[in-house]
Amino acid sequence: MDESVLTHFKQRYESLAGVVHVVSEEEEAAAVVASLLGQAKARRVALGQFPEPLRQALAERCAALGSEVVQPPYASADLPGAIDAAQVGVSPAEFAIAETGTLVEFATDDALRLVSTLPRVHVGLFRAADLVPTLRDAAGRVRAFFEQHPKHATVTFISGPSRTGDIQMRLTLGVHGPETTHAVAIR
Amino acid sequence: MADGRYTRLYRKIDRALRQTPQRAALYRAMLRGRESRNRAVAALPGGEAFRHEVRAIKLRCLDAQDSLVDRFAAKARERGATVFLAEDAAAAIRYVLQVAAACGAKTVAKSKSLTSEEIEINAPLESAGMEVIETDLGELIIQKAHEKPFHLVFPAVHKTVAEVAEIFRRETGEEIPADVDAIMKVVRRYMRPIFLKADIGMTGANAGIAENGAIVIETNEGNARLVSSIPDVHICIMGREKVVETVEDALQMMMAHPLSAVGQPLTTYVTMMAGRSPLGDGDEPRQSHLIILDNGRTRMRKDPLFQDALCCIRCGACMNICPTYGVVGGHAFGYIYPGPIGIPWTAEVHGLEKAADFAPLCISCGLCKEICPAEIDIPMMIAAVKDRDAETHPQPWVNRVMMAAEPFARFASATAPVSNWMLRNRAARWMMEKILGIDRRRTLPPFSRQTLARNMARRGPSTVRNPRHRVAFFADLFANYNAPNLGMAAVRTLEALGCVVVMPRQLGCGYQYIAYGDLKAARRVAEENIRRLAPYVAEGYDVVAIEPTATHCLRLCYAKLLDHGKEAEAVAAKTFELFEYLGMLEQSVEVPPALRGRRFGFHISCHQRPLGGGRHAIECLRRRGAEVEVIETGTCCGMGGTFGLKAGLLGYDLSQAVGEPLFDAFRQAAVEAIVTESSVCTIQLQEGTGLPVRHPLELLKDSP
Repeated sequence: MDESVLTHFKQRYESLAGVVHVVSEEEEAAAVVASLLGQAKARRVALGQFPEPLRQALAERCAALGSEVVQPPYASADLPGAIDAAQVGVSPAEFAIAETGTLVEFATDDALRLVSTLPRVHVGLFRAADLVPTLRDAAGRVRAFFEQHPKHATVTFISGPSRTGDIQMRLTLGVHGPETTHAVAIR
Repeated sequence: MADGRYTRLYRKIDRALRQTPQRAALYRAMLRGRESRNRAVAALPGGEAFRHEVRAIKLRCLDAQDSLVDRFAAKARERGATVFLAEDAAAAIRYVLQVAAACGAKTVAKSKSLTSEEIEINAPLESAGMEVIETDLGELIIQKAHEKPFHLVFPAVHKTVAEVAEIFRRETGEEIPADVDAIMKVVRRYMRPIFLKADIGMTGANAGIAENGAIVIETNEGNARLVSSIPDVHICIMGREKVVETVEDALQMMMAHPLSAVGQPLTTYVTMMAGRSPLGDGDEPRQSHLIILDNGRTRMRKDPLFQDALCCIRCGACMNICPTYGVVGGHAFGYIYPGPIGIPWTAEVHGLEKAADFAPLCISCGLCKEICPAEIDIPMMIAAVKDRDAETHPQPWVNRVMMAAEPFARFASATAPVSNWMLRNRAARWMMEKILGIDRRRTLPPFSRQTLARNMARRGPSTVRNPRHRVAFFADLFANYNAPNLGMAAVRTLEALGCVVVMPRQLGCGYQYIAYGDLKAARRVAEENIRRLAPYVAEGYDVVAIEPTATHCLRLCYAKLLDHGKEAEAVAAKTFELFEYLGMLEQSVEVPPALRGRRFGFHISCHQRPLGGGRHAIECLRRRGAEVEVIETGTCCGMGGTFGLKAGLLGYDLSQAVGEPLFDAFRQAAVEAIVTESSVCTIQLQEGTGLPVRHPLELLKDSP
């Protein structure tokens, strides 16, 4: 992992009004998430599809905080309201792009896309090893994902909070999507 | 009816000129757009080179469009999407109505899509009893205000905070303070149930990827993510020119689009969506309908003058730099497609008549071509629109007068000093305004009875011993008929640096024919000038032109007008700006710092931007010790060739409104004089600023 790339990412993501946390392992990432949940006074959390042991670590933290958790498999009958009712969405990013301050999300279930769109706060977790320097470097991974999923599949490039300048060109965050976003890089 | 067209246009310009706060807001938006864009482009590793890459991708994909569209459609179908190839707007609308009826839709949530506006989908959906809601904040404001977008990227930029607060107060019944954050909270609360309950989500696409059948949708607000994920039915309407071949192509478009629009490296949310994903563990089928719209695009692709328009990526950069759009805005300068590129697009998809209604607002400065991420020759396409329209609607008289600039100059020169007395006489100027349409407030440069051509003939050939170069001098109208001394100074300067100089028989450059849209006449002039110059070039002469617009024509326009004929290309390759040439000659010459301690503000003529942006003249002055600062707003001074000579709203008035910010910048610049190479910019800047305006060559004379 090239430190300068991580520094570049941090700089770019923060210039977009996002917050970057760099942690050394999963348990620490879960602790960061827990403190963010606390800050947001999240009574309900929407979780994305995490691999073990991160899923377990996050579930335990949420339980300890007493937050209600919406997580896969999502019951379609409750959707999209159940995710909308969450104050915080926490989901994994497949990789990240330094030059644009972007988290890249892979999804084959639209509920996963909602976890990073509907709640006011979004926390995206990714492995620092999965950070690439430029947008062009994304091509291979994106192509491979669509090849692995010959039916439905969605890739989303997310660069900071939802923003608009539509009223007198004043930059305003959170008009439809999250107002606050965090990127947690796990070394 | 052509008369009605101009009456309507004058009314719109008049209204726009009076709306001071809106104008200021628009100007700020455009200025910020182009300045952020320039900063971001400067930070790119290759700078402006990204435009060549975008163009190369677009041309490659347009070349293979039919097969790429087939491949894209086949891939999308394999992934479970339903693909409909719509011949025209009516077919697309019918299809959407069928889908809506089949799913019993009551509400349609849309994210911003110019293509859906192109086919005017909202009205038929509403007539069928559906509620259609624009979810992009700017579009929503416009929809609720029952207006059309004022700006492509910032549709509601002309609305104040108080006006927006009032719109949402009416909508929600809540009291809302005139505060952006407060409004945002209300909008979020107001929109959320709409997103959650909509039956159909409708989007456009910034690209379609042939290799995997995915569409690319960009939004900063995230509204497209919501409308493409929550409703069970998603409809995407995209123009067939949006299909690119590979993921890499799409990434390049994703970069170029926000970069050109607002200097943003990537749009906040970019979704690449293939097929239709389920929502949670539900197994009821969710639909994705991709409507690939033709609506004239195939015809466009076969039209050599208009096919380039298909390279448009809808970034709006041309609007951010267009001088007159920046004053009048999208309500006057546009039909559904606004701004410079909106003229050819409107002509092709909504009809020539509608395009020609606002095409006269184009003053042919050419800046749109210079900022376009796909390097589209928009000015030439606009000329073609004006030209085609003139077949059925004769050009207004004043345009015909302006196109007759050359015979006018010849006559005024032959009748000087009487003509010059007339140009200064108030009664005569009043008559000229009434009869010819030349604004009487405009000072016109005096004409000289001795033309440069005659001076050169009388003087005989250059007597340079052991010449290093041979130069065919191109004067254009001003140096020939008004300022032969300036032309002669150029000739002598070239000779002093070892050039043999001849002035072949020639016409003026004829750019006015492009500007007003008489392409036949423009070709005639191009042919004549090339016929006169080509033999010299064949013999090893270089062509040196003193007027930026003339250099622009010789280097960039003639070859295009003459189907890239060999001779025109040869002349283009050997044409230089005067100072570009002097710079090359002076490379090995020591020049004394005769201009040390002097400070000038340089004005770049628009037509000079693709030729080096005045760099050569600036370097020449700096070599002599002068302090030279480029002073610019990033757009035109407003003169637009002869546009600013025309009387009234569509001429002098608009040209002044365009020029004001630049005049202010010069007045505040603490320079002893303005320097520019363009004869027409000189008039505008002299009048607008009251400062002396000098040709750089005159300053060289100041130095020994």
